[in-house]
Amino acid sequence: MRQNKASSILITVILSIGAAISFFPIYLAIINSFKTQGEMFKSFISLPTKLHFNNYADAFNQINLLNSTVNSIVISVIGIGGIVFCAALAGYKLSRTSGKISSFIFFLFIASMLVPFHSIMIPLTRMAKALSVQGSTYGLAIIYIGLGVNMAIFLYHGFVKSIPRELEEAAQIDGCNEYQTFFKIIFPLLVPITVTISILDFLWIWNDFLLPLLMLTDTSNYTLILSTNTLFGEYNKEWSLILAALVLTAIPVIIIYSFFQRFIMHGIAEGAVKG
Amino acid sequence: MPTKSYKKYISLFTFVAPAFILYAVFLLIPTISGMVYSFTDWNGLNRNYDFIGFGNFVEALTEDPDFVGSLLFTLKYVVFMVVLQNVFALLLAVFIESRRKTKGFFRTIFFMPNMISTIISAFMWTFVFAQVLPQLAEKTALTFLDQAWIGDPKVSFFSILTVSLWNGVGYMMIIYLAGLQGVPQSLKEAARIDGANAFQTFRNVTLPMITHAITICFFLTLNGAFKVFEVVYGLTGGGPGRSTQVITMNIYEEAFSNNFRYGYASAKSVILFIIILIFTFIQIQVMKRREVEA
Amino acid sequence: MKKIVKGMMITALAATVLAGCGNNANSTDNEGGSTGGGEAKSVKLKMFIAQPRFKEQYDKYIAAFVAKEKADKNIDVSVQLEMPTSDNAAQILKTRLASNDAPDIFALHATNEIPSYYKAGYLEDLSDQPFVGKLLDSVKPAVTTNDGKVVAVPLETISWGYLYNKKIFTEQGITPPTTLTEMKAVTEKLKANKITPFVLSYKEAWIPQLLLPLAAGALIETGNKDFVERMNKDEGSFTEMKSMFDIFDLINANGTDKATEVGGDDGAAAFAAGKGAMWLQGPWYAETILKNDPNMDFGVAPLPINDNPDATLINMGASTSLAVSKTTKNKEVALDFINYVLDDTASNDFFQSLKFNPISNIHTYDSYPWVNDAMVYIKEGKAYQEPKIPQSVKDEVGKGLQAYYAGQLSQDDVLKALDKAWQSYNKVNK
Repeated sequence: MRQNKASSILITVILSIGAAISFFPIYLAIINSFKTQGEMFKSFISLPTKLHFNNYADAFNQINLLNSTVNSIVISVIGIGGIVFCAALAGYKLSRTSGKISSFIFFLFIASMLVPFHSIMIPLTRMAKALSVQGSTYGLAIIYIGLGVNMAIFLYHGFVKSIPRELEEAAQIDGCNEYQTFFKIIFPLLVPITVTISILDFLWIWNDFLLPLLMLTDTSNYTLILSTNTLFGEYNKEWSLILAALVLTAIPVIIIYSFFQRFIMHGIAEGAVKG
Repeated sequence: MPTKSYKKYISLFTFVAPAFILYAVFLLIPTISGMVYSFTDWNGLNRNYDFIGFGNFVEALTEDPDFVGSLLFTLKYVVFMVVLQNVFALLLAVFIESRRKTKGFFRTIFFMPNMISTIISAFMWTFVFAQVLPQLAEKTALTFLDQAWIGDPKVSFFSILTVSLWNGVGYMMIIYLAGLQGVPQSLKEAARIDGANAFQTFRNVTLPMITHAITICFFLTLNGAFKVFEVVYGLTGGGPGRSTQVITMNIYEEAFSNNFRYGYASAKSVILFIIILIFTFIQIQVMKRREVEA
Repeated sequence: MKKIVKGMMITALAATVLAGCGNNANSTDNEGGSTGGGEAKSVKLKMFIAQPRFKEQYDKYIAAFVAKEKADKNIDVSVQLEMPTSDNAAQILKTRLASNDAPDIFALHATNEIPSYYKAGYLEDLSDQPFVGKLLDSVKPAVTTNDGKVVAVPLETISWGYLYNKKIFTEQGITPPTTLTEMKAVTEKLKANKITPFVLSYKEAWIPQLLLPLAAGALIETGNKDFVERMNKDEGSFTEMKSMFDIFDLINANGTDKATEVGGDDGAAAFAAGKGAMWLQGPWYAETILKNDPNMDFGVAPLPINDNPDATLINMGASTSLAVSKTTKNKEVALDFINYVLDDTASNDFFQSLKFNPISNIHTYDSYPWVNDAMVYIKEGKAYQEPKIPQSVKDEVGKGLQAYYAGQLSQDDVLKALDKAWQSYNKVNK
């Protein structure tokens, strides 16, 4: 028992040190977002002598925060919704179907996760233009579905294996068809992995840079990261604004993450009660 | 029997079609046309190009020391990342899982680096390496902190690793945590009653139960490490010279700066793709055998 | 065969699904157009200028152009202005051009990019446009192709060498040296007074790269006039330029520490803080320097590369320039805009607000002191046009000099790599 306590304290100490290292750069970003650029280059670790809130005001205006946030949210929501819907269906079915065709399709999806993005940039842009999905936030969201389903299918495929087949058999005996079975029985059981997928895809889409840069031509459609990037001038990086913008763009992520985190707890608790 | 299998395919098709159509249009077809370019001498700007067979592939592997150099550098990085990232992530997940009140707090803190854009955080770290650590060295007499962290390729390899781990461990930790939550508490308690210590319980009860999470994490780390770009771009830009240039950077340079040899760059990405494919295939084979044994 | 049919069906299906979205987008566009109303012709002009820091100035100037076009020609112009950052600009522009989605007007780097884009046939010939007559003689060559066609209107032109801290120079009683030997004396004097002569910032490869246009430009100007031509024919070698290492070695031996850790921003901060008296950099960093110290007094001087004072010259070049796409469907309006850039009445304020150098006699505003510094040399004829060294060779020299500084490559290695890069350029751009 005593040994337990000692090791417990040791673990807490290790975790705390790790947490400090993990948070340190973010702490630096926050304190420096309140300095002028001159002050920042003089010393990077000293606390700001005066809180320059106008960095935030300037960043707010320059990156057109409200508009960019709406764009980022629209793209993320449609993208994630589409990925979850398409991938849950496909991942479930591919996991439950044996045979060469099914394995081949699954292999295709997985193999494509290994494709380096730079190698499809030009062909993808051509395709997007041919289908006229280029230039709009909705079009971009659809492209995200196409690029994101493989990873989600991979995760669903693995998760479905842990769900006993008896459940579906029972539902079918009760007269559910395949689709009803999926939406009524299976999909609710997939909640924990769905939440995980949503968080991972949200972070990807929210912070993605190259694809929106290629697809969005109009500044009014820019996402938060694209707008923030406009602060990186050719010879003049507006560090105080960039850091303020970094903090501003991270806030929605932290809020959404905390919200989903409770959701994970909830989903798991529910699963545990039922199990 | 034939009607049944016919039905089976219809059902498979309806479930898979929405995902497959979008995937085919935006990923599969572009990938294939990218591969077609790899057999051409297209320079990205000209409207015309010729097919030159395997010329690009031969050139990349035999006449391009920069490419081979970046390939070797990337391989070294991959080995370190796959081991370290998974060890750290699993340790953190196990430690955090053992906490009660502080679980949510630690999980959020360790995951936080994932919430901010990689490219901007890599720039942040250049300040840490170039300014903060030397200043700390001055104040604390820990002289080893005063190094050319990003300017000397021998040291900067480890700086790149540090930032990559800082950025990536939280992601894997989440997956391990999800796996750990699937381990029934009763099993662990049973082991403890049988007299197993914490390490033995972990080795014999927990680890076999999370092999699937381990497979996923190894796969993701391997794949991500081969395609690393932003961290290196932000920290060293591949320099000095090309001493820390990773393979994606070499491809990027070939396609968009240098002479815009897009066909040649495509051939290099096909090579990269094949390498990742081989490594992943081996990894999954090994892991699968493990999963079965467990 | 079956597979192909299936593949085609899938693509067709996807096309119909997605076409729905496309139509929606179009219909909103039309609504936007029709509210502009009347019998006026309406034109949508796409522009691509990678200078987001000047968004306000461009927006304002474009708005003035739109008003003028409406008044003069009764054309409703709506402009879609795309402004990525310069880091990604070339990549985005190339991707757009390669996917047949060229903007009507796009910005590109005059010296580095015009040759290859012109060769690939993307640039409209602008030689007959009225703006050409207004360009200063010192600016025109930068936007003229080898076969004598003007293909862009320059916005940003630069006259540069290195930057020096005027306060330190005055205090030490020194003036910008005119020969390499004098430069050595200057560094000795500065060091004797415990002042580091040079700020070094080599983290980004393009900064050491600056040495090449400076050294090669001066060597070409003083006795090797056909160097670029011969290199283009695979007949020259960079061994002819080997003496550029003399000044590079001198700078490196007398500079600040840890150069490969110092980027442009840090360099500007160090220079503004007086941590070095000189900096191998152009006046395009003025804004950042002044942000660190608004009272910083600095000047531009030509870099001596050997003991021939006539080889100590200012480099004249042009960077951001606007070109018209050869495939544009709105040629008339695009050309109107290009000419409007040098409009007799509006252009002066525009260039002044962008803080660019004057490029035409219609520009009468007061320039900055460092611009005037350079002008003094140019008026004495101590200047040359930036040599047309291919972009890929410049990229290579940046990396090569970084590695040379870090002790990974020898002088001969660097020169060999440069020869190889130029040969490869010739091969690709045959």
